[in-house]
Amino acid sequence: MSNNPETKTARTADETFEKYSNRTHVIGRISCLVTLILLLSAPFVIGSYLGGMPDMGAFGKGFLSIGIVWMISSIAEYLIYTPMLGSGGGYLAFITGNLINMKIPCAINARDIVGTKTGTKENEIISTLSIATSSLVTILVLAIGVACLVPLQPVLQSPTLQPAFDSVVPALFGAMAYKYYRGHMNIALYPLIFMAVLFMLIPSLVSNTSMMILPSGLIAILVAYRIFKKGQEPQVTPPSDPEDLS
Amino acid sequence: MNILSKLNSPFMYLICGLIILFVSIVCVVFIIRAWRAGKAIGMDTKKMRTTVVSSATFAVVPSIGILLGVIALSGSLGTPWPWLRLSVIGALHYETTVAEAAAQAIGMKTLSASEMTASGFSTIALLMSFCIMWGMVLSIFFNKKYSNALKGNTKKKKNGKPSKFKGFGDLAMTAMFIGLVSAYIGSYIGDFISGGGKLFSFSGDWVPLGVVVVSGLCMAFFIWLSEKKNVKWVDNFSIAVSMLVGMAAAIGLKQI
Repeated sequence: MSNNPETKTARTADETFEKYSNRTHVIGRISCLVTLILLLSAPFVIGSYLGGMPDMGAFGKGFLSIGIVWMISSIAEYLIYTPMLGSGGGYLAFITGNLINMKIPCAINARDIVGTKTGTKENEIISTLSIATSSLVTILVLAIGVACLVPLQPVLQSPTLQPAFDSVVPALFGAMAYKYYRGHMNIALYPLIFMAVLFMLIPSLVSNTSMMILPSGLIAILVAYRIFKKGQEPQVTPPSDPEDLS
Repeated sequence: MNILSKLNSPFMYLICGLIILFVSIVCVVFIIRAWRAGKAIGMDTKKMRTTVVSSATFAVVPSIGILLGVIALSGSLGTPWPWLRLSVIGALHYETTVAEAAAQAIGMKTLSASEMTASGFSTIALLMSFCIMWGMVLSIFFNKKYSNALKGNTKKKKNGKPSKFKGFGDLAMTAMFIGLVSAYIGSYIGDFISGGGKLFSFSGDWVPLGVVVVSGLCMAFFIWLSEKKNVKWVDNFSIAVSMLVGMAAAIGLKQI
């Protein structure tokens, strides 16, 4: 074993991070479990207050008609988004929701600004900080908004401003698209053309755009992998990245 | 007391507020732990501060959009429940559609306060919570295993050879995100070209596409400022301001 001070520091950092990571899973699991219990018991507590408990027959019928679709969608979301969010960020993002329209773009943006790489300790920290901060901001904005609902309502529901509030998602993806397309046009072109043609031919799919993320992402990943393999062919495999989680 | 008054009562605010408070505490705990761990492994605190500032500014504009979801649902479900749903676990596109579908599933014509009953509300509330909980359930059981399996892709294989995916992780994540954005932009293009009720009629809604272009151009300007003029501080605000410009443009585009 080396007694080199730098190696020792790296080893200490690894051990510290390992401890942090293990504890994150414990806290994350407990937080998810408590949130689940709170969310599922709230309708019963509210039901007893209102004087009408949930109708389990209607609940079962409702779950069969809408719940199955969302269950499949949630499983796909979990598989796709966890690698983007990291472990700490993953727990938080699935607790606080709004993944597509906020948490994922926010975490990717933060990663890009500070320049961390996927799978590194730094990325795990940045992703957790980013998702926790954005969740707190949403909670704060909603709390202020709800507290000021009466004075704010005329402004937020003004017909003049309605087109602006209807355009939050296109505005977000327009800005993000420029940022990510410009360096990866060779990847972006394929899913973009495929999706545009698909939606042109089957316009009814527009109401199920979130379901199309998976095939679109798959096309992008396949194209990216082809480009990655091509770029690797003449090169010798580079040495291990010191930032890798190990 | 009618049902809507009960749904907006202090008791409802208390129940929903307590759950939101719990989730806020979880977020604060995660921030403090991540910050400390970052410092312990020698990360630059400037990077962490930049992350917090950029994420906070990034989140403001979409949060206002989410607040609109609360307002939209408050007419039929009262304010506290949509406030809880959209602060915790919920998603803007999910809540409105599920609440509507749940109302129909329990026999209401549409989601409205006039048809709402106490049992109807608690059933809708339970459905809204139950249908979207799977991300959390999977996280409880599989997050550790899944994260470790993903880490394995960046490590060497047992036989000593590096994985054939080594170095691909970053590009794969960027590609997945490009796929996500492309699905939405593709839908705006398709909706404009074939959304007017007839294929290739070019009479659909073109405002989302116009907004994409405007916010994209605004982002291009910020990137030019940052990269060519070395005005680095704009990075923290570029997305939020580009979104605001794009959203403001929607008001003008709608008039054309």
